[in-house]
Amino acid sequence: MTPGAPLVTASRLTKQFGEVVALNEADISIPAGITGLLGENGAGKSTAIKLFLGLLRPTTGSVSVLGENPVENIVVRGRLGYMPEHDCLPTQVSAAEFLTHMAELSGLPPSSARTRAADTLRHTGLFEERYRAIGGYSTGMKQRVKLGQALVHDPAFVFLDEPTAGLDPLGREDMLTLVRKTHREFGISVLLSSHLMADVERTCDRIIVLQGGRVVQSGEVGHFTKETATVFIEVDLNRERLIAALERRGVAVAADGSGLTIEGADESVYDHVRDALVEAEAPLRRMAPRRRALAELFSREGGTR
Amino acid sequence: MSAPAPTRATTGTVFDIGYQPYTGAREGRGSGRRAVFKDGLRISLGLGRGPRAKVLPWFFIALLASIGLVMALVAGAVERLGGPGSAAEANLPSHSDFYGIASIILFLFAAVVAPELLCRDRREGTISLYLVRPVTGSDYVLARWLAFLAVMLVAAWLPQFILLLGLAAGDPSPTTYMAAHWLDIPKFLLAGIAMAVYATTLALLASSFTTRRAYASVFLVGLFVITAPFTIGLASEIGGKAGQWISMFNLTNIPVHVNDLIFGKVSEITSEAPARELGGTVLVAWYFAWTIVPMVVLWGRYRRLTP
Repeated sequence: MTPGAPLVTASRLTKQFGEVVALNEADISIPAGITGLLGENGAGKSTAIKLFLGLLRPTTGSVSVLGENPVENIVVRGRLGYMPEHDCLPTQVSAAEFLTHMAELSGLPPSSARTRAADTLRHTGLFEERYRAIGGYSTGMKQRVKLGQALVHDPAFVFLDEPTAGLDPLGREDMLTLVRKTHREFGISVLLSSHLMADVERTCDRIIVLQGGRVVQSGEVGHFTKETATVFIEVDLNRERLIAALERRGVAVAADGSGLTIEGADESVYDHVRDALVEAEAPLRRMAPRRRALAELFSREGGTR
Repeated sequence: MSAPAPTRATTGTVFDIGYQPYTGAREGRGSGRRAVFKDGLRISLGLGRGPRAKVLPWFFIALLASIGLVMALVAGAVERLGGPGSAAEANLPSHSDFYGIASIILFLFAAVVAPELLCRDRREGTISLYLVRPVTGSDYVLARWLAFLAVMLVAAWLPQFILLLGLAAGDPSPTTYMAAHWLDIPKFLLAGIAMAVYATTLALLASSFTTRRAYASVFLVGLFVITAPFTIGLASEIGGKAGQWISMFNLTNIPVHVNDLIFGKVSEITSEAPARELGGTVLVAWYFAWTIVPMVVLWGRYRRLTP
């Protein structure tokens, strides 16, 4: 693999199950870093991950992971990690034993597997509990074991499927911190599949939005942040005169409850708002930058590709 | 008197060296297969699990070993009480009879322990973590099959070795005894393989249809225990060629017929079986049909498995 090349690429990737098209001519390119795969249930996220892992054969199109075809060369899975959304942990064995076994399954020799299991449990915050049977763990601890088994063999790329599912707010924050740490400290690239926009927005560098099996949006998080940036203002008087004054200045404005929302909020907008407020003699009660929820991306066709 | 030399205080410091990438060897698919095999051995014997997981497998292994021990002790006692050669004259059960005597225990062992190798991974979803690693469904099921086969072989062979050592030790001249009976060793090893392959395959096949160990165990116990009296009764009632074929469906007898052919001697439990009259070729072909077909079905169920 050439340095800087995307770690995962899919070209016109289609997967059909009978009449159902789960993924439809998707062109996907995932570079190093943390990439969010956003989509509602049934959007094709899990199918995409299974295709990337080589567990399904594409109906048409091609997929390459770490420069290899994962269907034809399953050894590449030794450099991939996967954390499923559903329950997948054995209840009877300890976390230390389980992670050692998972490391050996990925190709590590037994002595290295034991060392890696202990290290990984330390990094995921389970070192003290490592000899307890997993069946007695809390939901948050089980999620950490699931992440640990995905990282224990030091993969180059890890697929995380809804890693915050079932966690309380504190547990969710801890898990997202671990996900960020996975890339920033461990150097492992991540594909974070989620339907929770806030998780993806706070954690990822890039976002891919799937809808109905199609890629409808993809790009840097910063781009989405810019695209979704707005300014919310509230005035005590002369609301209609303010709207007219803003529109004369070419500022797109929309009524939002008792206030107004201004689109495309770059630096110049604040000058226009100041001037319009003076012209309309509208006393300002509140002005604050706001972000449009990424949920809206699901309902917007096209967009940046 | 000189003052004691000053001692330097010894202090330890723990450094967090942070995350260390793995730079060692990656052994690929072979390591994955070995890991599944090793894990299968540990599950079968309850190793690395709580005491309850150890009870059943070790109970059955101890029970089988004790049968071999009792057979050896009885032969030794007869030899000592009746004089040299009296055990042989008394026609006491020996290596050729062991699998006939212990077959039902071997099948119960398989019925109770084997489902744990497949059912739990599917019920708990752990199978999905195997299949996203460099291991295919075929690798997984083959490694599990080999693991349980290895445990079954130990359970089948251990009592035979105990019996052999007991018989040799009970003989006035152990070396003469071994020289005269050495051919029993390859025979009981081969017959043990026949028993183990048959029981392993059927038990794992039944386990592949359910995620509940108890369902698989109950089904297998029914299959092995209930078919025996049912087919014996029906075969003797109907008689003739049809009775012989009905007798072939006595599932506990199928590998014992092979044992009889290997030793060239009919076991106690198959001596009355009408199936015996169908001949060695039919009995061996029937045995292979009952092992190869289930093996192919079992493989087919895991070959294309995806999480």
